[in-house]
Amino acid sequence: MPPMQWDPSSEPQDTLGQRLDNAARHLLPSFIALLAIIVLSAPLGLPGAAELLPPLMIGSVFFWSLWRPSGMPPLNVFLLGIFMDLIGFTPLGVSAFILLLVHGLASYTRFGLMRLNFLLVWCVFGLIGAAASVLQWALACVFRLHALDPAPAFFEALLCIGIYPLLSAVSSWFLHILDGKPAS
Amino acid sequence: MLPVSIQVRQALGKLVLPALLLLSVGVMIAGQVEKRATEKARMAVAGTLAPLWNMVSHARAGVADVSNGIRQARHLSEENSRLEAENATLRRWYDVAVSLARENDALKTELHWVPEPVPSFVTGRVVADSGGIYARAVLLVAGTQSGIQTGNVALAANGLAGRVTEVGPHAARVLLITDISSRLPVMLESSHAPAIMVGDNSETPRLLYYPQDTRPLEGERVVTGDQAGAFPAGIPVGTVHYTHPGTPVVQPFARLNQLTMLRVFDFRQAEIEPPGAPGHVPLTHPSHRPLALPFKTLLSPGQEG
Repeated sequence: MPPMQWDPSSEPQDTLGQRLDNAARHLLPSFIALLAIIVLSAPLGLPGAAELLPPLMIGSVFFWSLWRPSGMPPLNVFLLGIFMDLIGFTPLGVSAFILLLVHGLASYTRFGLMRLNFLLVWCVFGLIGAAASVLQWALACVFRLHALDPAPAFFEALLCIGIYPLLSAVSSWFLHILDGKPAS
Repeated sequence: MLPVSIQVRQALGKLVLPALLLLSVGVMIAGQVEKRATEKARMAVAGTLAPLWNMVSHARAGVADVSNGIRQARHLSEENSRLEAENATLRRWYDVAVSLARENDALKTELHWVPEPVPSFVTGRVVADSGGIYARAVLLVAGTQSGIQTGNVALAANGLAGRVTEVGPHAARVLLITDISSRLPVMLESSHAPAIMVGDNSETPRLLYYPQDTRPLEGERVVTGDQAGAFPAGIPVGTVHYTHPGTPVVQPFARLNQLTMLRVFDFRQAEIEPPGAPGHVPLTHPSHRPLALPFKTLLSPGQEG
């Protein structure tokens, strides 16, 4: 008698409905970020919609990479960044690079960060947001080949820090809903 | 799913992020090298998203109309009396304008004035604010199918808004005069002094290179100049304002942060060909500029090549 072998197909398989449900749960954060990019680039007359978009994206990539990396895999981050660059007037690939760096930092430090309380996470995010803004400013300078006014980068860093509590509250509520098992 | 062991899958999973980072750096470099392809990709994305933005923009216009209607309904009677007074003033100005136009016509006939060609224009809805922190640009739903070409001039309701930089079949991107890469030859209206208006991504572009003996005056009107042949002279741009002593800026007439419609004019400036003159370097479109240096006219015949 041949020795017992582990057969992957003998695992309990999910039904199609369950698999679709799982896929939707994994794709939803990226999808919402995509919608945010499209809506914020439409002329809604909101003050500072153009300035709001990069901090919003940095914040949501950070949040999801920290608390639910399966909802924001690197490939989605990359595609979101490229999409942002294609819609906007930024040099192609800059947003993708910055968002991937934020994602990498958040997912490498997540086991340390998850134990900290909210205020400390906010401080860490403030540092990351400021670094991302400075990097974006530096890359913009490199591609235009002359030094730009650093005021927008400063403003972006402040917006990053300011928007995080609100973003975190909304996303936490959303995460809670996603975690809640469907009523059966 | 490929039959790979868990260790290999984990190792591959760790490689995804560095690989994507490298890929994005590659995209950055490729985007700088292949500018033409980048522009095409951008316009393709914009073209597919334009109907969606159009919908959002229509919905927003509807909401704004309803809220405006409710707000105005409360002040109808005062608004009416104010408008009647304004109408009376405007009637007087109408008479003045008619008589001035007649006088102008008469004087032009006296002088055998050569009439200027009437520019053709199309109007498009602004559907996306495609700039960001480091750029100021908007997207119009009107493209090559409506006759828009690169280099056309976009005017808002009451002043210059920008120039068309990229055109797709259904969408055109307009670089606003406030963008950091915008450099426009302008003229100060009262002194007729030339200057260059330089955008810096703020609301108010700066004025540079004006003659040192005629400084811009506070409140003076600024219109486009025709130095480089890119713009017809006399399109209203804005008024001069001093934020600090010695740094004049232009406050544009067009409200560039809340554009809804833009008229795109084709003034056919490129078709005006000046007669040849020694040392004259003709202005060519950047996309079909010859590769050789345009110094041939300056050199004597033996020195070429």
